[in-house]
Amino acid sequence: MIRFLVLVLFTGSAAAQEVTVDPPEDGSVSRAEGLAAWERVHDVVSHPRCANCHVGADNIPMWSGPSYGETRPHGMFISGGESRIGAEFLPCSACHVTLDAGQSRTDGPHRPPQVALDWRLAPVDFQWFGRSSAEICAQMADPDRTGGRDWVALAEHLRDDAGHGGFVKWGFDPGGGRAPAPYGLQAHIDDVLTWGAAGTPCETGG
Amino acid sequence: MRLTVNGTEHELDVEPDMPLLWVLRDELGVTGVKYGCGIAQCGACTVHLDGMAMRACQVPAAAAEGAEVLTIEGLGGGDALHAVQRAWIDEQVAQCGYCQAGQILQAAWLLETSPAPSDEEIDRVMSGNLCRCGTYPRIRAAIHAAAAALREG
Ligand code: FES
Ligand code: FES
Repeated sequence: MIRFLVLVLFTGSAAAQEVTVDPPEDGSVSRAEGLAAWERVHDVVSHPRCANCHVGADNIPMWSGPSYGETRPHGMFISGGESRIGAEFLPCSACHVTLDAGQSRTDGPHRPPQVALDWRLAPVDFQWFGRSSAEICAQMADPDRTGGRDWVALAEHLRDDAGHGGFVKWGFDPGGGRAPAPYGLQAHIDDVLTWGAAGTPCETGG
Repeated sequence: MRLTVNGTEHELDVEPDMPLLWVLRDELGVTGVKYGCGIAQCGACTVHLDGMAMRACQVPAAAAEGAEVLTIEGLGGGDALHAVQRAWIDEQVAQCGYCQAGQILQAAWLLETSPAPSDEEIDRVMSGNLCRCGTYPRIRAAIHAAAAALREG
């Protein structure tokens, strides 16, 4: 069993948290347990903190929250462009300032979130917004559509993004009065690994 | 912190989380840059930070350490008018004027990255800069005029 450790410093809180990737043996988890873990993974990836920037080929990020009513396109006529970082129009980082690692973010309701990576949309292959649980599951189970990552590499990606002060860490600790993605980062990593060790099962249909 | 503003170097003692907008206005007296909202919703505070149009209200001082800042006071070298400023006068864009320094700096950056922008491009890049007086049609016309002037040299 491999054990990876990373120290994640949560800005805005003095607490430091260790995030580990501790994969169960491949095949050691039942399909039922795997599907239950997938349900929780889906709760995370379909949460607005994640899905609003995992949008499709229209490259339009979404906004949602108690003050918005329905989820709606990002204000200011924003498009991430095909570059997905806004390079063709207004770069995301004109407002979503890129911090140096360890620098504390400027925080508050309705402020553009800041992380230690250049703000961007996820690659279009990773579209989650508007997709069903079965569609997202099939995408995440297919290394051709995860940037070549299998389930262990997906979990490592979550850990490493957090280590860089990136978007995954932010989704669970978004500040500004925003609802965080559920369960927490370590539980999410564990759920991805449980789902993976069960053979990345997906319900068909739905 | 060290900061170069419109070509002049400054050494400042400020809190690392003080927004660049405060540093410019309150510490250095550079008041061409305006405060509208403080939360990146209006664009009034737009400056160029190392050549990139940014909302100064969102940049913590620590993130601007050693950077070169250009404000409306320095555009066009200080004494001359930049082509965008000339076009703004020709088109009589401003009404109350409050948003215009931010509009002009955003437009100047747009023309550096895209010398002949389409209307869609202009709208996509400029829509983060609000104008309570509704000068948007004149802003668009002035950007086209400035683009033509810059292309003619
Ligand atoms: S004051 Fe910075 S965007 Fe409004
Ligand atoms: S000219 Fe008055 S706000 Fe734009």
